[in-house]
Amino acid sequence: MSTTAWVIDRLKSRIGVDGPEVTAPVEAGHVRRFAEAIGDPNPRWAKEAPPTFLVALAPVSLHLTDAEEYGKGWLNGGNRFEYFLPVLIGDQITAKGRVVDVYDKAGSTGNMLFILFETDYTNQRGELVARLRGTMIRR
Amino acid sequence: MMHVEVGQEIPDLVKHPTTRQLVQYAGAQGDFYEIHYDQGYAKSVALPGVILHGLLKAAFLGQLITDWLDDRGRLKTFEVSYRGIDMPGHPYRCRGRVTKVEGDEVEIEVWGEDEDGKRTTLGAATVQMGA
Repeated sequence: MSTTAWVIDRLKSRIGVDGPEVTAPVEAGHVRRFAEAIGDPNPRWAKEAPPTFLVALAPVSLHLTDAEEYGKGWLNGGNRFEYFLPVLIGDQITAKGRVVDVYDKAGSTGNMLFILFETDYTNQRGELVARLRGTMIRR
Repeated sequence: MMHVEVGQEIPDLVKHPTTRQLVQYAGAQGDFYEIHYDQGYAKSVALPGVILHGLLKAAFLGQLITDWLDDRGRLKTFEVSYRGIDMPGHPYRCRGRVTKVEGDEVEIEVWGEDEDGKRTTLGAATVQMGA
């Protein structure tokens, strides 16, 4: 079996299996540094997290080191956020991610491996605040 | 409440990312993948140099939407698809327009353009007005 097929089989075995939960507080200083880094001076971010801040609370790519046997580097293919409740400074957010699908296909610059994932974010009251879906690519 | 109608354009947001900003963002997000700050590493994986984080471009487009929306409503969904690379030292223009209005739910398309007007990031969002 080629390295490529082995990697894909290993990753496929994780489809639908929850990764480890990560819990992190939404800290005022962290949100402020994030807002500064993206260059967004909106005073609203003194109370609430900006739309993409959730990705700073837990690794979004599930640290799939097995995937790094495939190709040379990572690319982010896309992200989709669904928001159910505001994420406020002081919240305690738990992120739980899983692989949704894995496949490879031939591209113009060689083969690429696609890993689709989703992460659910819940707050300290157990309420689902947001869901992130994404596509990570190895090429 | 400001009137919102299909075809309405969202005021542009032009960003001027620098390598310094990529480092700042790497720290704030906790994404230390070397292609965003190490020129030698970036070139070793066949990139022309360090490139912007996709999620930094998403954050720029998020700001485009939240600046326009202000406190008139809430973001419900937001998606981005990264179609091309962008490099620091070049302006990144965020643009958008209203594509659908149904009751108090508004759909908008957003995109990021490089300095040649090429759309390197495509996206869409749903907002609920008055929420």
